[in-house]
This record gives sequence, structure tokens and C-alpha cells, in this order.
Amino acid sequence: MRYRHLIPLAACAAGAPAFAAQYLNAEQAQKLMFPEATAFRQQDLALSLPQMQQVEKLAGLAARSVNWRVVGAYSGDQLLGYMVLDDVIGKFELISYAVGLNPDATVRQIEILTYRESHGGEIRLPAWRHQFVGKSARTGGLAVGDGIANISGATLSCTHLTDGVRRIAAVAQVALKK
Amino acid sequence: MNKHLIATALAAAFLAAPLAATAGEAELMARIEKMAAELEQLKAELKASVKKTEAVEQRQQAIAAAAPAPAPAAAPVMAAPATEPAVAASAPSTIFGAYGEINYNRPTKNASGAQADVRRAVIGVEHRFDQKTKMVAEFEWEHAVVSADDKGESEVEQLYVEREFGNGLRSKVGLYLIPMGLLNTNHEPTAYYGVERNFVETAIIPSTWREVGVSLSGDTAGGLTWDTGITTGFDLGKWDAAGSDGRESPLGSIHQEGQQAKSRDLSVHAALNWRGVPGLLVGGSVFTGKAGHKADGFTANDARITMVDLHTRYTPGRWDLSALYARGQISNTEALNETLVGNPTPVPKSFAGWYTQAAYRLMEVGDYTLSPFVRYEQFNTAKSYAAVPQGLGVAASPDEKVTTVGANLKVGEGVVLKADYQKFKEDKSRDRLNLGMGFSY
Repeated sequence: MRYRHLIPLAACAAGAPAFAAQYLNAEQAQKLMFPEATAFRQQDLALSLPQMQQVEKLAGLAARSVNWRVVGAYSGDQLLGYMVLDDVIGKFELISYAVGLNPDATVRQIEILTYRESHGGEIRLPAWRHQFVGKSARTGGLAVGDGIANISGATLSCTHLTDGVRRIAAVAQVALKK
Repeated sequence: MNKHLIATALAAAFLAAPLAATAGEAELMARIEKMAAELEQLKAELKASVKKTEAVEQRQQAIAAAAPAPAPAAAPVMAAPATEPAVAASAPSTIFGAYGEINYNRPTKNASGAQADVRRAVIGVEHRFDQKTKMVAEFEWEHAVVSADDKGESEVEQLYVEREFGNGLRSKVGLYLIPMGLLNTNHEPTAYYGVERNFVETAIIPSTWREVGVSLSGDTAGGLTWDTGITTGFDLGKWDAAGSDGRESPLGSIHQEGQQAKSRDLSVHAALNWRGVPGLLVGGSVFTGKAGHKADGFTANDARITMVDLHTRYTPGRWDLSALYARGQISNTEALNETLVGNPTPVPKSFAGWYTQAAYRLMEVGDYTLSPFVRYEQFNTAKSYAAVPQGLGVAASPDEKVTTVGANLKVGEGVVLKADYQKFKEDKSRDRLNLGMGFSY
């Protein structure tokens, strides 16, 4: 019984709250991104073919989807920005995330809603997510190794997430920018 | 001359093929995209007309009720109608993956030793039982053919169940990879530079190193990940002093890999990795446990095996820089080594190595990415022996120093072609040219 001292540790772990790997829901994410907002309105987007082609050109990626889940954040009647919800596959599993965008289509904030891979949970770290802030499809710097640093041991997760953000930045540039 | 012609023709054919394909494909893609867009438009129209119909029906019902319908309320301002991401619905619960590599080694001073090998073919299965529980399995074949007369191996490389508890805590139970170094838990051919895995993480850290046990892992908001666990360990009783396996990889020759693993003595491990600055990883780990298993008549029942490692990787922009130090120790082997006197490979007291590596993403053309790299490593699988009576011992080995220069050519993100040259400082007969193909998905 040399490992007796580990028993309480194991017991603590088993009794921990059952949150799984869902860190935030969409409502929590939108409030984190736009704490000053008084209203959120669902403004889902359907891209036209020319828009999709523009997105592909800007992002250098397949546009993937016509429909996008978009929430507009308002303070009274004033538009503060948008939150776009999306999922990408990390290595094996889906990563659900939200991209906060300013009205000028620059990235305001990234939030990870769920992450389930055994490795690479570090994409949730504020320092890593902060690399996206202020960038847009026009400014560039939204690719791993070109503005966004890789996470050692989670290359696929951070590459796929970064690609996803770049695609959303392009969607915003094409279809949401005021 | 002929060889050159054939090679040139082959290269030209490979390069030309995608060009020919893209012209026709582009047109086809454009048409598919157009159709997809039209389909979406039709869907949207259909949806709109369904809504309109519903609205009309509702209005009719309201009229039928003959009650004065109140003026429609203004849209609620704080509606917050954000939908939950449809993860559970769209994610399949069982996922198959695979990786493999085929390597060609040509010793430059002994061409007759040239060899091509289907190094490994691996099938991975991951099944998610629920939001918090999943099973991970990896099945592997090495060296192509497995039978009594062949050299291949067939093995279960990973087989564990992982449960998440929230607060970043998770636990594994089963056969899992020991979190040590940079390569062991990231061993797919697309994840490392060079045709062959580096020597320090094969000869000193016995990658792919897995044990049966229980682990607990977690991470903190500051970017620190920790892992700890209790597992099976090594079996020193398997040491073959007459052979050379122990000199190639001391721990690789006595690992148990979950195969009827002796478990009288268990081992513990712990690892800390910090990724607080984007692009930077700094970490270390330790693994320790006795390896005698109180076997009858065995003279090293108190022998303890301890491995430690320190590693770092930094990926600023196009650079990929890493360094690692690993050291292993086997204690209390004096009595055992006395019984092995006369054999070429007694049990070492210590073995160690380090490497440093720099890679640079030089070119990206389409989905081809070319990254040249250079690695310098120094390692010694028998750095010292426990003292034996004068004249009976084996001298410690000198450090081997290997310089590897080469390049990885990635095709998309799942396929890699590799070429490199390795120069050995001590045993120059091992200098070799390597070519390899690997994939992972």
C-alpha cells in the first residue's frame, strides 16, 4: 500500500463536477465577447455563390458552408459586432468555438466552447487566443506559422482551428463588414 | 544514364499529372459549386414558403377563433436566441484513423546492407461512449509480415479508456503512452523530422513506450499541463547479456508492453509541460520503479529503473527548434553483473543522451511544404557500469554523435516524403542515406 496517499486524490477526481469538456455555451460566449451589449439578435447568414468564391479567395480555403450561425450584438440600436459559431475537427474530435468580430470585420475575441481531444487543450489559453485579436482577412497573419504560433503536440487542432477562424474572418469581410 | 532518364521521366510525370487534373477539375468544381448554390437557394425558398404557409395558417386559425387578435408584440430585445452548437448531433461516435511509414536505408560504406522496410502500419480506433468517456485503441504491424519465420511484429500499441471529470481533469485506464519527451506521445511519421526517429528518443527513451496503468492529468489556466500515474514497469529478468539488444536500447530490450507484464513491482510517472507563451513548450518528466519483481533466485530484485527527461520546443514563425535531454539509471546491479561476467552486454548503471534540432519551412507551393532540417545528437546506451572486481568488467562505451541533415516534403497535411543523410562520429560504418514515405490521418 505504498500508494495509499493517492487514494484521496483519486476520490477527489471522481467526485469533481461533471462538466465534460464543454467550457462555455453560446450565451456565455457572447456575453464574454460583448459585455456592454444590451441585445443579441440571431442573424444567420446564407452566402451567395459569388460570396462563397470571394471567401475562398480571401481565406485560401474551401468555403465549406453556405449557412453560418451568426449573432449580432447591439447596445440599443448601435451594432457592436458579431459572434460566429462554428465547429472544426481537431485531430479526431469536433472543437466548437466562437469568433467575435468587430463591425469592421477584425477579430475581437476567440472562445473555445468545447474541446475533447486528449491533447492540445492549450488552445484555450488566453495567450494563444489573443494572437488572433485585431487581425482580419485583409491584414492576414491568420495562419499557423504566419502570425499564429503552433502548439507543440497539438499541431492538427491548432491548425484546423486557425483555418476555421481565417475562413470566418473572410466570411465577415465579404458578408458582414459595415 | 538510363536510371537518370527514368527518374527524370517519373518526376516529370508526377509533376505534370496534377496540372492536367486541375484544369478539368476546376470546371467540374465550378459546376458543382453552382449546383450547390442553386440547391441552397431552392432550400431557402422552400423554407421561406413553408414559413409563409404556417403564418397564413396561424392567421386563419386566429380569425377562426373570432377573437380580436392583439397587435403583434415587438420582437423581444433581449432574445439571445443563439443556438447551441450541434456537436453531439453531428459528431460520429466511432472514428477510424491510420498511419504508416515505409523506409529505405542505404549505408554509404556498405551498399549491400541497403534495405527497404514497411516499418509500420497502424490502425487506430476511437470510440466515444458519451460526452465524457472514450476508448482509444491502436493496432500495429511492424516489418510487413508476421509469422514464426518472419521478423515482423503485431502489437496492440494503445488500448485505454479516458474519462473527463471537468475542471480540466481526466483519467486514463489501460495501455497508454508514457508522457515523456517530445516524440513518444507524438510518434506519427508526419509529426517528426527525418526518416528515422531520433536516437535519443528510441535508444534512451524507448519510444513507442507504453505501460498498463492508471493516470490522472489536468491543466491550469497558466498553461501548465500535468500528468501522473501508476503503471507496470520494466522486467530486468529479460536482460540478455549475450545479445546486443541491451546495447541498442537498454530499456527497449526489457520493456513489457502489456504482454503478460510482471507486476509485482509497479512504477510511477509524472510529467509537467508548460505552454504559457504561444509557440513555446518547456517540459520535463520522470518515471521510476523497481524491475526485479521478487523473482526466485534473481540477483537484482532491488534494482530500480529511473528515467528523467527535459525538453523544449519553440516554433517562432517558420522555424521549428527543439532540444531534449534524457537520462536513465538502473541501480543495484552489482550482484547481477557479477553473474554475467564474460558476456559482452552487462546491465549499464547509466545511459543518457541529448539532441538539438532546427527545421525551417522554406517553401510552400500549393499544398507542398518543404522543410529542411538539421539535428545533432549525442547518446550513450552504456555510459557507466556498476563496479565489478578489477579486470572482469566491460569498459563504458564512448558517446556516439550523430548529425542528420535532410528535409521533409509535406503533401497536404497527411502525407510526408522524407530524405536525409546521417553521419556517425564513432561507428562510421553506420553512415547512411535514408528515404521514407509516411502518412497519418
